[in-house]
Amino acid sequence: MRTNTVDFTSTQFRVLSDGQLERIYLAALELLEEPGTRVFSEEARELLADAGAIIDGELARIPAGLVKRMLAAVPPRIVVGNRDGERTLVLEANNINFGTGSDCPFILDAETGERRLFTKTDIEDAARVTDACPNLDFHMSLGLMSGVPTYSYDRHQAAAMLRNTRKPLCFTAMSRDGLADILEMYYLIRGGRAAFENNPGFIIYLEPTTPLLHSKAAMEKLIFSAERFIPAIYTPCPMLGATAPVTPAAALAIAVAEFLTGVVVSQLARPGAPLIMGGVASSMDMHTTILTYGSPELHLLSAALTDIAHWMRIPMFSTCGCSDSKIFDEQAAVEAALSIQAAALSGANLIHDIGFLESALIGSHEMVVLSDEVIGMVKRFLRGVPVNDETLALDLIKQVGPGGNFVVEDHTADNFRGEFWFPTLMNRAKYDAWQTAGKQTLGDRIRARVQEIIAGHAVPPLSAEVDAGIDRILAAADGKASAEQTTLL
Amino acid sequence: MRANIGRGGARFNVLSSEQCERIVRAAYEVLERIGARFHEPEAVEILRGAGCAVSDGTLVRFPAGLIDQALGAAPAGFTLFTRTGEPAISVEPGVAHFGPGPTCPNFIDPDTGDRRPFVKRDAALTARVCDALPEIDYVMSLGSVMDAPQHLADIHEFDAMVRETTKPIMSWSFSRESLAHIHEMCIAVKGSTEAFAREPFMIFYAEPSSPLKHTAEALRKLIYCARHEIPIVYTPCPIAGATAPATMAGILAQNLAETLGGVVLSQSIRPGAPIVIGGVVSILDMKTTILSYGAPELALLSAAATEVARSLGLPMFSTAGCTDAKSLDQQAGIEATFSILAAALSGADFIHDVGFSESAMTGSLPLLVMSDEVIGMARRLARGIRVDDDTLAVEAIAEARQTGDFLSLDHTARHFREQFWFPRLLDRTRYGEWQAAGGKTMEDRVLERLREIIAEHRAPALPAGVTIELDRLMGTVG
Repeated sequence: MRTNTVDFTSTQFRVLSDGQLERIYLAALELLEEPGTRVFSEEARELLADAGAIIDGELARIPAGLVKRMLAAVPPRIVVGNRDGERTLVLEANNINFGTGSDCPFILDAETGERRLFTKTDIEDAARVTDACPNLDFHMSLGLMSGVPTYSYDRHQAAAMLRNTRKPLCFTAMSRDGLADILEMYYLIRGGRAAFENNPGFIIYLEPTTPLLHSKAAMEKLIFSAERFIPAIYTPCPMLGATAPVTPAAALAIAVAEFLTGVVVSQLARPGAPLIMGGVASSMDMHTTILTYGSPELHLLSAALTDIAHWMRIPMFSTCGCSDSKIFDEQAAVEAALSIQAAALSGANLIHDIGFLESALIGSHEMVVLSDEVIGMVKRFLRGVPVNDETLALDLIKQVGPGGNFVVEDHTADNFRGEFWFPTLMNRAKYDAWQTAGKQTLGDRIRARVQEIIAGHAVPPLSAEVDAGIDRILAAADGKASAEQTTLL
Repeated sequence: MRANIGRGGARFNVLSSEQCERIVRAAYEVLERIGARFHEPEAVEILRGAGCAVSDGTLVRFPAGLIDQALGAAPAGFTLFTRTGEPAISVEPGVAHFGPGPTCPNFIDPDTGDRRPFVKRDAALTARVCDALPEIDYVMSLGSVMDAPQHLADIHEFDAMVRETTKPIMSWSFSRESLAHIHEMCIAVKGSTEAFAREPFMIFYAEPSSPLKHTAEALRKLIYCARHEIPIVYTPCPIAGATAPATMAGILAQNLAETLGGVVLSQSIRPGAPIVIGGVVSILDMKTTILSYGAPELALLSAAATEVARSLGLPMFSTAGCTDAKSLDQQAGIEATFSILAAALSGADFIHDVGFSESAMTGSLPLLVMSDEVIGMARRLARGIRVDDDTLAVEAIAEARQTGDFLSLDHTARHFREQFWFPRLLDRTRYGEWQAAGGKTMEDRVLERLREIIAEHRAPALPAGVTIELDRLMGTVG
């Protein structure tokens, strides 16, 4: 037996040293005092003023001591149950979970290759694809449902997702009303408010406006989420060179300052409210002015923010499996692989945007299935190298001897399944076998898999009672929507 | 760029220092108690003279003190030069250098895209493409020349490469005789034996045979390099589940024992002889029985072996940018990227096999060109984040709040080039522009870039006198 040794049971990856991340945190505290932050919600400003922030019009200056006290109230872990109530999504420490992203206007049609608007059927298919992917832990809509009223699209999307996947969901909502309606759906599923608070079934995605602004809608949804104990992501999106300085350290400081404003408001609304730190901090492409989803800067900054979140003991929302490519090609694969590996190594808890092409304008089922395979690879990598007498196998090496063979040894038979990763879509066949089977690319195999899921993967329906309740919520929302007469797309 | 070292840059580790130490101790144990077969009498005599115990004529066991002594003598770093005498690769901890690999039997024809046998012209093309690619630091040919007399394929390969690139070349050979001939060609290029020894632009590649066997040819080449001050990479290729244990720690221990056997021999001949330890450490795919070049285990083991090498103060030869895919598809993209990021983060000194497809059966220039782009990305990530007053830019943030815009700040103009990585092949245009430009895929752009390099790029020509001398030397072998 060995004592006083440190064994890594997984890979270790850090972008920032303790000194560096503290310095960024302190810079964020400085920004919250000077120049301060604009809060466009009177309700939020009142909470802040009562707690000792200095309010001047819409400008709030939040003292460092208040931030520190509120940070202490944020829970270090959040557990989200799936549709059946199993507590599957554990957001804590370095526990990684992967899922899709939300609200792309376009889909890359897996059958025709065409780029077109997302339909209700596509939203349903996306939910079933995630349901069928073993390495995906939660689902976001992937697309933005076209042809539904602007006012109620969020409820329609939520209903379509709920009916087509059992996995925990993460939603966007237009307004506090939309969020309240989605919550009603979950009260039906869980059986009331108390049951939901003990085992929430979804997460709400919210964002401030960089640099250092907080919209009325975002603040209202944040306060409502806190009051109802809905786990909320508050995720800044600084664009380096446009809405933030071009240097990563500064963009990180802005992102942290924005998130900390969310912390203070949510914890003032209800101490202990479940909150998840976010941050999609990427570079602006200097040629095209787009926010890049495939750049190494995005994934470097995501890992850095994750280091900061771990240090603050707050669950972290991160980004991967996305690309700036317009089609499902080698670029999409390269950018997906790099980002998934970096995000997984960083140990973020809720890692989203799997399936995005064209810098978040196209959602692609193929990209989702590809990422599912890459996550399998990465998980093997993360497990690292256990070192002990059994794995060092010196007796075996001695017994086999120089020039010998390990294929037939019991040790090999006993260990290879645990040590080796077995791909499902990657191809390792010899050339002739691959040629005989039709020279399929990974893209070909993935397309076939997507079609197989869409045609064949069934998700058990909701109970008739819950289903009818959801229909009533949708009908009521559409009734209000008809006054507005607009559709999103 | 330095990865994984000191306070700058992203830090990545697979093994704790205790785990590293246990693997090192296990390798010592293998060398002391099991030993290794050395099938070359001269090598056996040198090792016996250095203090090893020899039985059956070829089984050599190494006392721990002798291994310690060899590790103390082997240099932690050295410098490789360009053919024209500029320092090119400074081997020092944490600085990753990338290049292709050797000896695939097949090649993807750059004109037709077909897979066909590798010929001498392909070695020249590969060298030219490597010479042009900004992230490729040294040159190997990707293939084994099939259109020359078989035993001279190694010499023809070097001849093709040296005329097309000034970057350092990593060469290999079947025999000591071929190595001596390649050495002579290097001397011809530099003008004298001393000039080549002072500014080596060629590093040699040789391998022991797993498990724990050193062939006569490998040993003769190793001895030649040590005697002639030619830097050498001595890299085993154990296969977990076939020629090594299926467990990751076991293959790492065995791999280290194999490569250290070479270190002890080289340092016994000439203390301080530059040697790089290595290991293409991967798994036997149980379904197809291939050695997988795309497996996550390869990336993991390579990173772990790099940490072990660093703990011993020795340079490491690692593997990345390779795939089991048969074409340049999404699988090639995933596998190349996965291994490149892991290798860049681990900071191995020489990272080879960039451009290997079909599990090292086919060299692919399209994959090499695509990987060059991925290496640029991975290097940006590994460089990490600088945190100081200038980069925190609290004042710039206050200033921008007056104007509402960061793009026009001096701070942005001063920093964006160093902070952002600028892609060359990855596309970030808007949909309409992309469509108007032909709706090209990554593969289309890779092939365009490859054809452009082949058509337009030329390394500085060798002096006429050198070319004549090389021609003469080639004439002597036929």
